[in-house]
Amino acid sequence: MSNTLKIAALTIGYNKKSILTNIDIISQKNQLISVFGRNGKGKSTLLKTLSGMLPAITGHFIFNGVDVFNLSEKEKSKLISIVSTTKTDIAGIKVSDFVAFGRYPYTNWLGINKKEDDAEINNAIYLCNIENLCNKDYSELSDGEKQKVNIARAIAQNTPLIILDEPTVHLDLINNIEVLKLLKKLVENHAKTIIFSTHQIEYALQICDEIWLINNDIIATYSPVELINKEKLKELFDDDTISFDKVTGTFKIR
Amino acid sequence: MYFNLKKLHLFGLMKSTIFNKIPYLALFLISGAVLFFGMDLFLGSVTIPFKSIINIILGDVNEKESWRIIILEARFPKTIAALLCGAALSVSGLQMQTLFRNPLAGPYILGISSGAGLGVAIFIMGLSFIGISTSDLSIATNSGIVISSILGSFTVLAILLALINRIKDIMTILILGVMIGSIITAIIGIIQYFSQDVQLKSFIMWTMGDLSAVTSNELLILTPIVFVGLIGSFIISKNLNAYLLGEEYAKSLGVNLKRARIIIILITSILTGSITAYCGPIGFIGIVIPHLARMLSNSSDHRILIPLSILLGINVLLIADIISQLPVLEQTLPINSITSLIGIPFIIWIILKNKKITNLN
Repeated sequence: MSNTLKIAALTIGYNKKSILTNIDIISQKNQLISVFGRNGKGKSTLLKTLSGMLPAITGHFIFNGVDVFNLSEKEKSKLISIVSTTKTDIAGIKVSDFVAFGRYPYTNWLGINKKEDDAEINNAIYLCNIENLCNKDYSELSDGEKQKVNIARAIAQNTPLIILDEPTVHLDLINNIEVLKLLKKLVENHAKTIIFSTHQIEYALQICDEIWLINNDIIATYSPVELINKEKLKELFDDDTISFDKVTGTFKIR
Repeated sequence: MYFNLKKLHLFGLMKSTIFNKIPYLALFLISGAVLFFGMDLFLGSVTIPFKSIINIILGDVNEKESWRIIILEARFPKTIAALLCGAALSVSGLQMQTLFRNPLAGPYILGISSGAGLGVAIFIMGLSFIGISTSDLSIATNSGIVISSILGSFTVLAILLALINRIKDIMTILILGVMIGSIITAIIGIIQYFSQDVQLKSFIMWTMGDLSAVTSNELLILTPIVFVGLIGSFIISKNLNAYLLGEEYAKSLGVNLKRARIIIILITSILTGSITAYCGPIGFIGIVIPHLARMLSNSSDHRILIPLSILLGINVLLIADIISQLPVLEQTLPINSITSLIGIPFIIWIILKNKKITNLN
C-alpha cells in the first residue's frame, strides 16, 4: 500500500501570526522526507501543525484521503505518531513499558495489552535494537538511548505516518546513522511515510527521497539530486565563506 | 518532573529482586489498616473492652448504653472519616502531581480549599451580622458550614473550569489556581479582621481540621461521594498514565486533553471539596502519600499508584488520628498539626535526598 499526502493552501504560525503561507505539496508514494531550513524559519511549526499539535491558520492536510485537521485525537492517534524535541523525564517505568505507551490508542480502558499489542511492542524493540535496555528504568538511560526508546514507542503505535522533530539531535555518530537507516528501512519495508526535520543536510541528501527546503519564507520540495544540481543550498547562506561542494555533497568553510 | 525515585530506596529495601512485591505490600498495608482501625476505635478517654466494641458495631443493643453512644456517635464515625479523608486526599494529590507534572502539587493547589474556607468564613462571620451567635445553634451551624464550604469550593471550581477552555498551557492553570487561592486568603483575612472573637475562634477551629465533626448521618452522604471519586480516578488511570509523557505526547496517543483536564480536576474537586467541607482542610497528606506510594512500589503506573495511595493514606491518617488522642494527652490535638508534623519533615527529606526536585519545569 502506498500513502498519499497532500498539503493544500496551508498557512501556519502562532496566534494568527503566519510564519509560512500557502504551502502546497503533493507526495504520492511512501517517502522519507526531511525538512531543512535555518533556525526559526518554521520547521518545528510545520511539523507541529501537520501532527495536529498546533492549529493551522488556514488550509488542509490530506493524508490517504482524509483531512487530518478534521479528525479527533483518537482517530489521529492511529494515523500519525510523533517524536518531539520535548524531553520526557519519568522515573519508575521500565523501557518495555515505555514502548508499550505506543499501544495506548488500541488498548481497553485499563490499558491491558493483547497478543497483537505485545507483538507490535516486541517488533518495535527489535527494529530499534534496544533489547538490551528493556528491563532498565527509563530514567537510567542516556539522552541517546531515550531518543531510540521514544522512536520505538512511535513505531509501536503502528501509524502510516511518523513525524519526528530533529530525531538525531542527541545522538552520537553511530546512533545517528543507525536511526537514519532505521527510518529508511521503515519507509522501504514497512510502508511508512516519515517526515523529519534535521540540520544534518549532508546525511539527508544521502538518505532521503525528498527534501522540503524552507528559505526566504517559502517552502519548496526537491529530490536530493535536484537540490544539489540547482545549487539551492547556497542560497541559504548570504556570505561567501561557506560553499557547497556538489561532488562530495558537503559544506566547505573557506 | 518525577525526580529519580530510584535513588531513594526506603530502608535500603527497595531495589530488591525481580519478584513482584506489590501484592505483599498491599497485604501489609491492609493488615496495617485493620490494626490501626481497631486501635483508633479502642483508644480514648473511656476504656471499652474490645469485644464490646465489636458487638456494638455489629448492632448488639445489650451493651452498656454509654459505651454504645461513645462508639456509635463518636469513635466509629470519626474513624470512618479518617479512612475516607486519607484515601480521598491522597488520590487527589496524586492526580494533581500528575496533571501538573509537579512533585509539590497537592489537593489544595487549585485553590479549592481556599474557596471552601471563604464559604465557611462568610457563613460563620456573616451570622454575627444578623445577630446570631454560632454557639447558639450547633447542629444548624454544622450543616451550614458544610453547605457554605461546598458552595465555596464549587465556585472556585467553576471559575477554573471556565478558564481551562481558554488556556492552552497547563502551567498557567496551576499558577491561576495559586493566585485564586491567594486572593481568597486575602479576602478571608479582611473578613477575619472585622469579626468578633467568638466567630473568629469558630473559624480558626475549622481550619485546624476535625475528623470528629462528621456525624454518622453525614457519613451516609460523604461515603458515597468519596467512593464515586475514587472509582472515577481509577477509571481514568490510563489517561493519567499518558499524562506522564507530557501533554504533547498524551495528545498524540489519542488523549482528548481538554476533556481529560476537566475530568481530572472535577474528580479532585469532588474528593477535596467534600472532605474539606466535612473535616476542614487537612494538610500534607495529599502531597506526601503519592510520593510514598511511588517510592514503595518503584512504579509510576497509576493502576498501581491509585490503590496504593488509598491504602497508604488510610494507614497514615489513622495513625495521625491515634497520635492526636494518645492517652497521655489531656486533650485531643488538632489533626492538621499532626499531619503537618508528620508530613513536612518527609517533604524536606525528599527535597534534600533529591536535587532534581528543584528542576520543576
